[in-house]
Amino acid sequence: MLEIARNEMIQIFRNRLVLVTGLVIPVVVSGYFVHQHEVFSDLGSLGYIAAIVMFSVLAFGLYITAVTTLASRRQNLFLKRLRATAASDASILAGLVLPVTVIALIQAVAILIVLGVVATGPAQIPLLAVAILATTAMLVALALATAGLTNSPEHAQVTTLPVSLSLIAVASWVGITGTEDHALLKLLLPGGAATELVVNAWNGGVPLADSLVLLPITMAWVLVAVALANRLFRWEPRR
Amino acid sequence: MPATPVIEVERLNVTYGDFAAVRDLSFHVQPGEFYALLGTNGAGKTSTLEVIEGHRRAASGAVRIFGESPRDRRAVRPRTGIMLQESGFSPDLTVRESVGLIGALSGRRDDVDRVLGIAGLTRKASTRVSQLSGGEKRRLDFATAVYGGPELVILDEPTTGLDIQSRDALWAAVDSLRDEGSTIVLTTHYLEEAQQRADRIGLMHEGTLHREGTVAELTQSLPSLIRFALPPGAPEPPIVGALNGAFHIETFSLQHDLHRLLGWAHDTGVELRDLQAGPTRLDDVFRAMSRD
Repeated sequence: MLEIARNEMIQIFRNRLVLVTGLVIPVVVSGYFVHQHEVFSDLGSLGYIAAIVMFSVLAFGLYITAVTTLASRRQNLFLKRLRATAASDASILAGLVLPVTVIALIQAVAILIVLGVVATGPAQIPLLAVAILATTAMLVALALATAGLTNSPEHAQVTTLPVSLSLIAVASWVGITGTEDHALLKLLLPGGAATELVVNAWNGGVPLADSLVLLPITMAWVLVAVALANRLFRWEPRR
Repeated sequence: MPATPVIEVERLNVTYGDFAAVRDLSFHVQPGEFYALLGTNGAGKTSTLEVIEGHRRAASGAVRIFGESPRDRRAVRPRTGIMLQESGFSPDLTVRESVGLIGALSGRRDDVDRVLGIAGLTRKASTRVSQLSGGEKRRLDFATAVYGGPELVILDEPTTGLDIQSRDALWAAVDSLRDEGSTIVLTTHYLEEAQQRADRIGLMHEGTLHREGTVAELTQSLPSLIRFALPPGAPEPPIVGALNGAFHIETFSLQHDLHRLLGWAHDTGVELRDLQAGPTRLDDVFRAMSRD
């Protein structure tokens, strides 16, 4: 797995398109929110900014890059080539998505640290970490599922839009308007409970028990994403 | 006691929806053997190989590699080198990185530079795959297949796109592997390559194994051929049939009938033009199979 991941990292840094979409765009978008944190905290809260930063990095940096990468590796039969070796399917997939996942996590944590420095830091760091990790797992699995529906790297520009834009929209809706109205709907939407977790973790003032209730919903979305990945992922191009 | 076959295929069936690509196919490949699986387009060779390589599930039947399921990669792959029909390398990696990666994942050990040398890619070691020609990509594919000297090497159309020098180098490397005891399975459209090297040949047609045997066994059922042309006005020789304006004699006794023909030409003073005589070739068998 590590050998695949090492070579995948080499490829990421040699491909300008992946570098721009995977590294630059999430940082620019997140950087804008951090720079304008006073405006956006008035609109929602610092927790909302933290949530939108997390989803921007994980949706644009991790999810879209992972779908593009997997579609590309399948299209040029690199996945088939890897399966002609002794490596297991799990280690192949883990090796392929590990670099982009690590890069996205480092980006998200670094930007959130900057947000904490220029504004106020999170009230409950462990809860924030759980929310980030659960969202990461959900987006990796959704990337595998979406890659199954994506025929080429170019096609990924279309197939990734529904999930990435929906997550940003849900995070904005929940982060800005809160969950006092339409609570059930907002929390059951993909990313809704995770957004509320991040908002609570950053802003504080909510009993831990109330926040922990959000975890099962967040984890349920992880399981749904994994089930979709199992069902939809393909190793070879359609004939 | 007979050796355990390296490859055992028993009543294999492969289907795509309602279409049966492979039907009740059975054959064995013995240790150290060079086995060529040949066939017309759509005969089912690729589907068969994909099952043997573990890339595709059989609809029914059994396939075992070294006595194991081909899908048990941990057991089978370290002993098997696979040269796929299509390359499948990442364009942004260099040749050295590609061989190093696939070699490391193969479960075998080798020196990357040695393997690059075998494949004639030493000078391309630092070149990215995206900048390789089609023939160079085939050589890269070959390099990953022979990495670590596997016990079984599967070569799927290995020389397609290779120039004559590269073909010679590839076959020299394969001969070297055979000398070390490796088992070779080949599919190719270049029948002369199979005819020259294979211990046994399986001829597939419409999803089934039409015939199987050594080159001699496959060709002995068809007559040898004597071809020639005659000058205008010359008398017709005995035992001939016209074929596209030329004359031909089909014979199971090549030496005897050639002697008769030459004797007749000598006695009548007729010049035999464009005279060709030879045993049946594999492509003759192939054509006969396609006509069946």
